[in-house]
This record gives sequence, structure tokens and C-alpha cells, in this order.
Amino acid sequence: MAAATATSVDKIIHSPKELEAYRNKLKAKDKKNTRIVRVCIGTGCAAKGSHRLYELFCEAAEQAGSSNGGTVVIQSKHVGCHGLCELGPIVVIDPGQILYHSVEEPDVAEIFRETVLGGRVVEHLLYEDPRTGEKAKTPGEIPFYSVQKRIVLQHNGRIDPTSIDDYIAVGGYSSLAKALSSLEPEGIIDQVEQAGLRGRGGGGFPTASKWRSCRRAEAPEGIRYLICNGDEGDPGAFMDRSLMEGNPHSVLEGMVIGAFAIGATHGYIYVRNEYPLAVEHLKMALEQARKFGFLGQDILGRGFSFDIRINRGGGAFVCGESTALMASLEGRSGEPRTKYIHTVESGLNGRPTVLNNVETWANIPAIIGMGSSEFAAIGTERSKGTKVFSLVGKITNTGLVEVPMGITLRRIIEEIGGGVQGGKAFKAVQTGGPSGGCIPAQHLDAAVDFDELTRLGSMMGSGGMIVMDEDTCMVNVAKYFLGFLKSESCGKCTPCREGIAQMLAILERISKGEGELEDLDRLETLAELLSEGSLCALGKTAANPILSTLKYFRGEYEEHIRNKHCPARECKGLFLYRIDPEACTGCGICRKNCPVKAISGERKAPHVIDQAVCTKCNTCFEKCPFGAINKV
Amino acid sequence: MPVVNIEGKTVTVARESTILEAARKAHVWIPTLCYHPTLPSLGSCRICLVEILGQDGAPGPLVTACNYPVRRDITVSVSSERAVRVRNGVMQLLLARSPESGELQELAHRMGVGGTPYPKVTESQRNCILCGLCIVVCEEVIGASAIGFAGRGVERAVASPFRQASETCIACGACAAVCPVGTIQVRIHADTGEAEISPFKSRSKLLICEECGVRMVSVPVAQAMSDRVKIDWEEFRRLARLCPECRRKQAVKALSLGAGEQSVTPLEKIKIKES
Repeated sequence: MAAATATSVDKIIHSPKELEAYRNKLKAKDKKNTRIVRVCIGTGCAAKGSHRLYELFCEAAEQAGSSNGGTVVIQSKHVGCHGLCELGPIVVIDPGQILYHSVEEPDVAEIFRETVLGGRVVEHLLYEDPRTGEKAKTPGEIPFYSVQKRIVLQHNGRIDPTSIDDYIAVGGYSSLAKALSSLEPEGIIDQVEQAGLRGRGGGGFPTASKWRSCRRAEAPEGIRYLICNGDEGDPGAFMDRSLMEGNPHSVLEGMVIGAFAIGATHGYIYVRNEYPLAVEHLKMALEQARKFGFLGQDILGRGFSFDIRINRGGGAFVCGESTALMASLEGRSGEPRTKYIHTVESGLNGRPTVLNNVETWANIPAIIGMGSSEFAAIGTERSKGTKVFSLVGKITNTGLVEVPMGITLRRIIEEIGGGVQGGKAFKAVQTGGPSGGCIPAQHLDAAVDFDELTRLGSMMGSGGMIVMDEDTCMVNVAKYFLGFLKSESCGKCTPCREGIAQMLAILERISKGEGELEDLDRLETLAELLSEGSLCALGKTAANPILSTLKYFRGEYEEHIRNKHCPARECKGLFLYRIDPEACTGCGICRKNCPVKAISGERKAPHVIDQAVCTKCNTCFEKCPFGAINKV
Repeated sequence: MPVVNIEGKTVTVARESTILEAARKAHVWIPTLCYHPTLPSLGSCRICLVEILGQDGAPGPLVTACNYPVRRDITVSVSSERAVRVRNGVMQLLLARSPESGELQELAHRMGVGGTPYPKVTESQRNCILCGLCIVVCEEVIGASAIGFAGRGVERAVASPFRQASETCIACGACAAVCPVGTIQVRIHADTGEAEISPFKSRSKLLICEECGVRMVSVPVAQAMSDRVKIDWEEFRRLARLCPECRRKQAVKALSLGAGEQSVTPLEKIKIKES
């Protein structure tokens, strides 16, 4: 990757004043006649080949630069996740913020000729509203973006994550300068408290209380630790990943401010090894920040020293749990311990430790920058600011979104997400990952708020949001999450290890049509046992996927048990395949492909499935070119 | 010093004492499995869950008595309906996992748990409940770290490295001594004169009394002991060549004869290794 890391200073920035001077120098450079091509290299776009697009744009920019004699400066930048992953690769051209989606290699020449050089719009690459058919030129005209409120993701998709200059140019590290020059440590904590920031990792614990307890805890030899939890492990979640990949400096800046506030000397970023791009970008950001003196000794001349190191985790889900994460950092196996003595008092290596999630840290520069009252004006009474979600599942616009707290689930799903894929009916949305629950259609007008989501039997979690349509079987959903938790439970405590296995065995029985009604009571008894008896949050919340689906979709469980029928037609064996004689053309494809010869029929006459022979392998359903096979 | 009100009895304990210590002081029984007084608490089995009551007996959190530190005056209920329900539930899960352990059944009986409604869904190695005491005693007390946890979740098992007979095991048998469910056993192989720590497959030769042939301690344990007290190994072997019974008989014989052979080296003659 030809990263344009223009760390043009060779000396450390000693004061907020020097930082401002440097920023002004960077801004002055930008005033020229500049055209910028921003190519998203977030995970989704990269998977669709955006790295190659970036190279092609770089080549084109180089050629154009040498031919126009420098009158126009053309920059090709690779940027972090833009959000609209469904329609990637995304390319945005400035001036004008013209957004092109689903860009392919052959489009590069046209975009360059028409838009970059000619200032004209390439119509066929513009976003078209599927409902109105109207074309949108800029992100602001697309509902996916216009309904969002971006604070944490503000610069994602705008700046080159490998360039500290880019970050500084958009105001980066000014919050650090402000905090160090005009605030005392307690004052910073007060600001965070007044902002009402609650942890974005799942629990929603007030960040300021954590910081204050840590600051006040007795610290032998004055050592306090600060950790950034980047062990994002929920299925379908990629918020923290996108932040670390797309704007790593914002996380670092938050951590340095936090370290000053709590008096921490060492910081760690615990990031899973499955996120190689995040690790790479964080490493680069750390080196750059050290070079500029935002990390190291006497930061910005405030006489305060702090440094950060990256630790890569092996990807165990349980290491998202604070004490397990710290055990892993200490080089032991990642297992939790009881938290009767809090980690703010005795955490990593027995020292006072603050652990916050990636998104929480990235919120800190925003709070210091805009001021706590402006931040607290966003959101609901007890949930302030914004929340980043990864919107996935059966949704039209899969992607990364940031919304103000208090927005309804309906607006996220219908306006931002563009509704359920393929015009199917919405059934439920799963929030909070494996510890969360499913929220059904009747609660779509509920507000996104820590307490509201908990009240509905789910939770905010770290921000996974999985949309399910009418074809999703809720027993199967519960089974999926329990299966995930069974393989991710560390096995230390009895209720979690044995209880999850017992619950999963019951769910497997039900989805095979072998369940009995008493099984539902057994599930509820085990669920209580897990939540009351487990050692850590993984076990305590493991039953939530079952409890919430039982709460809202009990009828579906009963249908599986009483009538041995899966209403969503997902559980193999609990529904039949039948050929619609009206739609069947008698082509014989199903008959020829059926592995057990269960299908018979004359050529050009409707075929029939012998239910006694059929193994429900789904082959006929997949092969029929006329959609004549129904699941009943 | 904080006061603990437990089951209507009041005891004063040192700050940072555990609820279990307070309970024992008050003669209140709380079932335990992964607890051993000489070892750091693990809080893994969850069989000692008790309820900390709020003001006027309001329901409070369930905590593990074995490692909850008492830092203020608290009221603890061992017999609250909720605590009993959860403890019994934990026991039922363990009984489903390890149905053949007599020790576990005995404890279940004492707790009033008649059996388990659950089928066996997880495999246990000879009824092991994965409490972890054996691992802790091997690491913290013996200092050998010959065994550890392998696998995760339901795959978890106590094992020697790569499940091979481990040379770091000194066949001391401490793991077998602390095992609450009889999973770990010391087996004596008469033919080879060895002790085997089962199921970890490690074997060590046993010292044999030169007089009566009774088996004594394992050679690596004796070695470790002599190292620890800084006695010359040969000297130690000489001292330990007889079992305590034979040594006593020898001493009596020597006394009754008036002079007799010196079977035991006088203290002043024991050579102390230069460290």
C-alpha cells in the first residue's frame, strides 16, 4: 500500500501553540486548487477490490499531475469505512462531495475524466433512491447518511487513516491540547460526567464514575493502567474495527486525555488478531503520535508522560470481559475472575485500571472539543450522545451507522437501512450481540437508549444490530447464539459451562420436533440459574437470546413442539416441500437432481414429491427454475 | 472490624475475611467444592453462593462465600429461597455432568438435592467437575505446575502438557488429596515399584524401606524435600532408608542394648549443603 504518510516534522510539538501553527500550515496547503479522490478501503469495500481502485486512481492522478503542469493538485486518498458497505466500493470526489457507489475498475477512467478533471457528474454511478427513483449526488442527499448524526465517525471516510497530518488538519489533537492547557484532571472527569457518557462496550456504565474511582484508588508506586478494549467479538459487529481502521488517532487522542485525567502511566490497546488492518493502522498511528510528542515524555509541555502499546488477542469472545482481558494481557489464559474487588481498584497486575471500549475512547475528544453541554444536548435523559451500530442481516443497506441516542429503531431500519431486503416483512431486530435479545415489530418505535433496550429484554451492547425477516425462525436464532456461546464459554464456572450446554441440547430437541412443552419451563429455570449463578457477564446474559425470543415468540416455540412445524420453514424436517401443479412445467430438473428419487412425474406434466421418501435436502427447491417448489 | 450477621448469628471478623470464614466462625455450614483453606479461592464451582441482604432483609446480590471479601457490616442469608434454589441448581448441573462421583452425591444429599432432572450432555474425565483445585495446589503449593487446563468451555479438561506423562510431576499426590470428587487417584504399581498419578499417566519410583520393604514417598518428592531443606541427597537417603516404624524399632533396639548401632545420624553430623 502506497501510504501517503507525510510526517513532515522532525521535531516534537511542545505546546498547544505549536500545534495550532502546524495545523494552520497544513490548512494553507489545502487552499490551492485541489481535487481529492477518496477511495474507501474499509473491510467491506476492500473485499470488493477497492485497493486496486485506489492504485488506479493514484496512477491516473500521477499522469494528470505531470501533464497539467501543477495548476491542479490531484490527491488520491484511501479512507476508512464510509458506512454504506452494501453498495461498496464507495468513491467520493471533492470538491462537491460527489459519491459514487459500486465502482468497478473500468469506471475509474470515466470518473477521472468526467468528474475529477471535467467537474461533471457520472450519472450511472450515482445513488438512486429505490423508492422515488431520484438520483443523489452527495451523501447528504442519501437518507442512509442524512438521518445519521456522526460524531465519532465524523472523519471516517474523510481522512487518510495512515496520515496524522490529515487528522491534525481536521482539528485532531486539539482536544488534547485543550485538555492539557486549560483543564485539570478532575476537571476533565467532570466534563465527561456532565456529558453523561456511558460505556459503549455493552454495560453502559458511566465512564466518569469509573475514571474517578480509578483516580482515587490507592496506586502503589503511582502506577495506573488504562486499556482500550478492541476485542470486538459479537457476531455481525464491526463498529470498533471500522473506527480503529478508519480513524485510529481519535482513539489514541481519547486515551491520552483519559490517561491525564486518571493519572495513568501506561496504556494498552487490546485488539483481536483477526483485525490485521486495525493493528497496522494503530501501529502507524502510535509511531506518528510518538514522533509528534502526543505520546511519550512531557506531552505538550504539560509535564505528563504516557505511552501505549498494542496487544493482539487470540480472538476469544470471553476476552471482551474486563477481567479475562486483563488476565490475557498478563500472559495468562483469558478467563474472568470474580469482581468483588473492582478493576478500577485492582486490575491489570493488581493496579488500578480503567478499561473502556474503542468507541468510548473515540467519544472523549468530541466531548472535550464541543464541550459537555453540547454533547449532553444530544440523546435522551439517561443516554447521551450518539451510538455507532453495524446494521446487518436482512436489511437493504448493510453498513456502519451512527445515530443520536433516542432515535427509534424504526427510523434506523426503515430510513437509514432502507427497510427489509427483498420486500419481505420485518420480524425482529437483534441488538446487543449474544448477550442481547430480539425486539419484535410491535416495539419498533422504541427509542435507542440503554435503559429502554434493557427494558425490552435486549440491551444496547456494543452495537451489533441484526435485522431478521419473516423467513427467520426464532428458535433457530436462539440456537445459533447459544451455539456461539457454548463454544466461546471459557468453561470456568459451572452454570455457564454446563447450563449453556443443557439449554442448547433442549433447543436442538425442539428444532428437531422432539421437544415437549415442559422444555420451555426448563429453559426458563436454566436461564434464571445462569443469570443468578454465573461468574461473569458472558454467563449471566447467555440466556437473553432465549428469554427474549420466548417472551415475544413463544407461539413459535409451541408450534415447533405441538405441531412439529416450523412457521418460518427453516428447521429442517419441520416443514414439507410441495410442488405447485400450476407453476410446475414438468421440465424434470427436480426429478433428475433429487438424490433419493422422491420425485416422479411425466414430461411436461406436474411432478409430485413422495413425502415418505423425501429427506428435505432442499435440492429441488434450489434447482427449480420456475419457483414451483413451495415450503409448507 | 466488620460485623457479619449470618443466619441470625453475629460474628466479628477481620476486614477482608471471606463470608465463608465468617460462616465457619459462626458455625454455619455452606457447601463448598472448589475451596480449600490453604489455597487461593477460585470461585469457579458456584456451589457456595449466598445472598447478601439489603436493608430490612431486601433481596440483594448472590455472591460466592469463598471469596467475597467482608469490608463492612453485612447481613448474609445462606438459607434464602433464592440462594438455595441457585445452589441446588448448580448441584443438579454437576450431578448431570459427573453422575458417578460418590463424594458429589454425598454433598448433594447433605444439601437436600435428591437427584438431577438434566441429562448428561457434557463429557467429564472420571467425574471431574473442573473445580481447578488440583491445578492450583500443584502450582502454588508444590511449585511443580505439572498440570493445567486444556481446552475451553465444554471441552475443558485438566491435563498434563499435550496429555503426555509429564516429567515435571513429582508424584506427590497433592492433587489427589485436594480433589473433592475423587477424580485423581494415586495408583501403586507393585511390579515396578512406582506410583502413578491417574489420570495424568505420570509415574515415579517409590523409596522402599530397606528393613521391611514398605513403600514410602516417591523419589522426586524426597529429592525435592532434600533440596528444600538443603540436606545432602546421599545423607538424606541414608536417613530415609527406613520407614518411620522401622526407624522407631531400631531406636528402641539401640536403646535397650545400651550402645547398639547408630542407625540414625546424630544431628550434629548432618552435612549442610553450601548454598
